[in-house]
Amino acid sequence: MALHTLTGVQIFPLFASDAGVTGRSSLREADPLSLPKSSAKTASQVREQTYWGAVGAKLWRDKITMAAVFLLLFMITITLAAPWIAKNLLGFDPIDTNLRTRNKPPTWLTAEGRQICFSSPFGKCNWLGTDEAGRDVLTRGIYGGRISLRIGAYVASISMTLGVIVGLISGYYAATFIDDIINAIIQTLGSIPQLFLLIILAGTFPFFRTPEGLSLLIGALGWMGLSRLLRGQIFSIREREYVVASRGIGASIWRVMFRHILPNVSSIIIVIAVFDIAGAIIAEAGLSFLGVGIGPPNPSWGNMMQGSLGNFTDAPWLVIAPGIFIFLTTLSIYLIGDGLRDALDPWVKTGVPSK
Amino acid sequence: MGRYIVRRSIQSFFLLWLATLISFTVYQLAPGGPIQFLDDDPRATSEDSNRLARLYGLDRPKLFPPAQYIAWLTGEDWLPKNETWRSGRCLSDESRCGRGILRLDFGRSFFYKGQPAIDPILERIPATLTLAVASLILGMVIGIPLGIVAALNRGRMPDHLIRVTTVLINTVPDWWLGLLLLIFLGGYLGLVPLSGMYDIGDGSLLDRLHHLILPALVAATGGWIGYSRILRFEMLEVLNQDYVRTARAKGLAERWVMIRHVLRNALMPFVTGFGGIFVLFLSGSVLFETVFSWPGMGRLFITAINSRDYPVMMAIFVIGSFFGIIGLLVVDILYSVVDPRVKYDVSR
Repeated sequence: MALHTLTGVQIFPLFASDAGVTGRSSLREADPLSLPKSSAKTASQVREQTYWGAVGAKLWRDKITMAAVFLLLFMITITLAAPWIAKNLLGFDPIDTNLRTRNKPPTWLTAEGRQICFSSPFGKCNWLGTDEAGRDVLTRGIYGGRISLRIGAYVASISMTLGVIVGLISGYYAATFIDDIINAIIQTLGSIPQLFLLIILAGTFPFFRTPEGLSLLIGALGWMGLSRLLRGQIFSIREREYVVASRGIGASIWRVMFRHILPNVSSIIIVIAVFDIAGAIIAEAGLSFLGVGIGPPNPSWGNMMQGSLGNFTDAPWLVIAPGIFIFLTTLSIYLIGDGLRDALDPWVKTGVPSK
Repeated sequence: MGRYIVRRSIQSFFLLWLATLISFTVYQLAPGGPIQFLDDDPRATSEDSNRLARLYGLDRPKLFPPAQYIAWLTGEDWLPKNETWRSGRCLSDESRCGRGILRLDFGRSFFYKGQPAIDPILERIPATLTLAVASLILGMVIGIPLGIVAALNRGRMPDHLIRVTTVLINTVPDWWLGLLLLIFLGGYLGLVPLSGMYDIGDGSLLDRLHHLILPALVAATGGWIGYSRILRFEMLEVLNQDYVRTARAKGLAERWVMIRHVLRNALMPFVTGFGGIFVLFLSGSVLFETVFSWPGMGRLFITAINSRDYPVMMAIFVIGSFFGIIGLLVVDILYSVVDPRVKYDVSR
């Protein structure tokens, strides 16, 4: 069961708790004591499958992870289909303001409202209420997901690329001056309050308030956890016989890195990248909430809450609705990451010769 | 160990210098400034904008940024008396030279009508530190028992419960949880005040605690999740050590095994997590202070950003980095003193 192994590899670069900030505790995040039990299959059954086939089969059997995958697919679908849904099902525009309908609670809360919602909801029923400028919160929510999910994907790919490159180099050249320089950079980024740096850059330069710019910024400050983790793993893989043998017959550094080392840590990279998506969505929400992320009128889950700050006790749906969107998305991503970690067995796999 | 402290201090100074450099570079590249507001005002003449430029020291020819950096860092009063090194304001009147951020002169605020940028910050540091200390303590008070309970019940119900709770809390932004609690506890039930640090006209200790409790509790979330997780892991690690088995074998009561041997050793690495959590806390203060309208540095930072008050912005960045870097340094040094087994001079 996936829920039982929800330990902490979250790499929350900004707001959350404990992941890899001080360095000394970073490698301990792989909690060996709560490793998932190896699956009950016999060796002969496993051998018939390829590694990725086995991973897929294991994921397919994991009910919680599959439910999370469907939830995430659902969120992605409604955000991708947002223009169509808004036009054909809801009947609202995400940006047009309407002063007559400011701060209206969800329509179905009253008896007559329920009648409207179930008979002719098009353009009349605000399922999640309206915001301080009279816009439908549900419409803005599904549009906001486009930006939030996009930023999540961008940040994960940026921080993954940086983390892998730096991790490979520092792991391969561990205990040399190259490694020292990289360590110094990581420590520097870890001891300057990152949110301050993010806010200063995003608040000063308009470029960093576009989805691309913001992802670049969050990604550039969020790769350290992955590279530290990889460094430790690679440091040990580097000494394995097949790597030594490969170097012995004259393989180039790049060949050794990409043919022998990278495949051995690919599962770690995938798991961390999945958690990075969730972290980025939360980070974006925080920055936009503060007014230094995605700016109005374009909706994002963070800036939808920003407008509520003055009157959140009168219009609590302005706070609750975007938060639920974030919760559903990050929860599904978390569960997928967790299921993937079980399925890929990253921590075990690098400890045991794989083939 | 002495060498370690020296090396670590030098590194911290370097980091501080880097923070000032980042801050100055952003300031130089930043668009807009106090004079730009006058562009929109039809009554403003060029004389007005010249006067403002002189007031803020912006009339220096932008030819030689390193000179400006040195002046910003160390002050203008000791620099050569020419246009390259000094601003016009300082050249004409010796008493109005900038004194440099090393002497806590961060220039004049654009937003607070030209008062020194450091003043509103100094006013707000106590509020931020109050919240920081309160939530650090709360984080430990909640996190340490949870970590112990989770470790002692590993794989059983309490452990699962704690883990699932922490994961669920981690899936939403903690400031959003704060907003929710504020709506329900403050708005509907009226149990806690909605904003601020104390009621105007009150300000007794009880009133301040009443205002502090919810912000501190919410700000402590990240802390107790981290603490309980680190402690759980460390305790499980220590429980497997030989000296614990020895202690049990010699007939020591289980309670004393836990207190003298397990907890004492498990809490050691805990100190390192403390520094990182302190830095994270400084960062988080921006969000929590905005949510709870807490009159601290973090909220001032956001106000400064939104009003393009660069001197205040840069000052908070430098001061915040200072707190973060020094906090980490102190914790690391304490750690090396507390735990003599740690050999820092042996590299890797």
